[in-house]
Amino acid sequence: MAFIDAKALPDASRIEADLVIIGGGLAGITLARELAGGPIKVAVLEAGGREIDMENQALYAGTGVMRGPGAPDRPFNDYPVQSRIRALGGSGHVWGGKCGPLDPADFAARDWAPHSGWPIGHAQLQPFYDRACDLMEIPRFGPQTPVLQDPQRRPLDLDARDGFFPAPRYFTKISGGADKAAFDAFCTDFASAPNITVYLHANVTRIRQTAKGDAVAGLDIACLDGKRHTVTGKTYVLATGGIENVRLMLASGGIGNRHDLVGRFFQGHVTHSMDGNAETEGSAVNISRNGSMELYVPKGRAKPHCVIGSGLAGQARMKAGNFTLTLYNGGEPGTGTPTQAETLAIRQTATRVDGGSGEGQLLGCFAMTEQFPNPDSRVTLDPASLDPLGMPRIRLEWVYSERDWDSFERSTAGMADALGASGQGRLCWPVQRADYVANCSASRHHMGTTRMHADPKRGVVDPDGRVHDTANLYVAGSSVFPTSGIANPTLTILALTMRLADHLKLEMGAAR
Amino acid sequence: MSALHRRDLLATLLALTAAGGMPALARAAEPAGAFQDLDVAALERIGRAWLAAHPDASAKSLGRRLFPGGRNAGTLAELRRRVTDDFRRGAVFIHRGWRLSDTEGALFGLLALGNTAGARA
Repeated sequence: MAFIDAKALPDASRIEADLVIIGGGLAGITLARELAGGPIKVAVLEAGGREIDMENQALYAGTGVMRGPGAPDRPFNDYPVQSRIRALGGSGHVWGGKCGPLDPADFAARDWAPHSGWPIGHAQLQPFYDRACDLMEIPRFGPQTPVLQDPQRRPLDLDARDGFFPAPRYFTKISGGADKAAFDAFCTDFASAPNITVYLHANVTRIRQTAKGDAVAGLDIACLDGKRHTVTGKTYVLATGGIENVRLMLASGGIGNRHDLVGRFFQGHVTHSMDGNAETEGSAVNISRNGSMELYVPKGRAKPHCVIGSGLAGQARMKAGNFTLTLYNGGEPGTGTPTQAETLAIRQTATRVDGGSGEGQLLGCFAMTEQFPNPDSRVTLDPASLDPLGMPRIRLEWVYSERDWDSFERSTAGMADALGASGQGRLCWPVQRADYVANCSASRHHMGTTRMHADPKRGVVDPDGRVHDTANLYVAGSSVFPTSGIANPTLTILALTMRLADHLKLEMGAAR
Repeated sequence: MSALHRRDLLATLLALTAAGGMPALARAAEPAGAFQDLDVAALERIGRAWLAAHPDASAKSLGRRLFPGGRNAGTLAELRRRVTDDFRRGAVFIHRGWRLSDTEGALFGLLALGNTAGARA
């Protein structure tokens, strides 16, 4: 129906809808798009405006620290602001558009991975992954996905027993980092539907519960210009991201927190690598064959490609979590120093042992390892530090455990051994455990803080995404992921959101 | 390094440059000269690093280990099989981050010992 600036409404306005979506990021927008044109009256409450604005961004300020065993804490105080966007479209504004599904292994209960196992399986989500791919205008994932069918892009001939496989990645144009016009259209065109209203600058500051505490009664909205409004609906969906969802639930009297789970199990994605120079090795792979590596190292940025992933069999063998190795062209090193000469000698010898000729192909690489769910890795509130709207700011303690690093090292060793045993190449991994925290590069992926589990004692939301014990409140987004896998979470966020949309249509009597 | 001289080892390494293996080895009348693309000093430094963790290794013992049947048509295939086995059982040699098989490390070690012996001679 329209975009409405909440600052332009008369003070103390009362907004009513059937379904209230808190958050106009990719999850909230996708849900609204799924419902556009239907009988459910939808209000989308977006805290920011259409574009990134620093005054709005400042409301995300908080503190953060990354922690790991055997290393100094790494201050991460900028992360709460820099890793998310408070504007219509959310972090999609700065997303590069990379899409990949979680692997089947990510959904499995793995006895070596604490707190693992989703209440839904990959197969159940596959139809929604397909729909999400259609929405993002990319090929669907599966054995027949085009990038795996191209005879010019031959995968590495790794022994299947080792459990590593080529995991495809596609890029959508519908991201702020790819095609701004396409992204803007995605974020706005659905609002022309008569049943949709998007409210901008509408900061939800409190979720009010019923007297019994078993449902949401309404929402309080605050604008930076001082205006205050209220919102009521029949059903509410919280879709403000893996950090802000926690903030709102905890600041609203601890909704969903009967078992002290809200905010715990924070998981993120980081990449590990090391740049080399004339005197020290960098993280690299030397491939023994001379054929094309375009499947892994495409020509040009944002092109379909594969990373080397670790499947369930490999994870079980190594007693490790998910793991990927991403390859890229790092340029040919020189030969002038002793280090460079040794590198060349190793490459030549290994390549010849593998039956190749010359020195093979040297590629740069970075690795990612699954962070195991950890209740001590968490988002909490700092009641002594309030933002201009009176909301307590967040404290992020992003905690890795010994088990994470053990898993990571088993995976890098397993990857190297698989390459060598198959005669495909050798891995150079000079990154030391003591440097993992200091040297890693953090993605903007915030997962696990309202994890999904059928048992209220083990999860915040049920398998439908409904907050346990709160009848009309759902959570959308990566905060519901029980485990985080490696793949960029956006495609899974969209798939889960479409699944939620179908559920809500049924529940609200709007299924066609 | 009585049974396997440096030039023999280089010949073996040279053979690794050929897809067919043994034909190249058989043609290698002067392997050191044909080995100009390999930096022997670099190979030797890597070998010394391996030997530092294997102080009891000698040229003789390494020769027996790497070429138990002498050099023949199956030498290269046998080396590759040993490399695979090493990786499968985690018998590796890590040099400045490069994860190599222990057999490759031993190969470097043998070269280092042979080069030292050759220099002395």
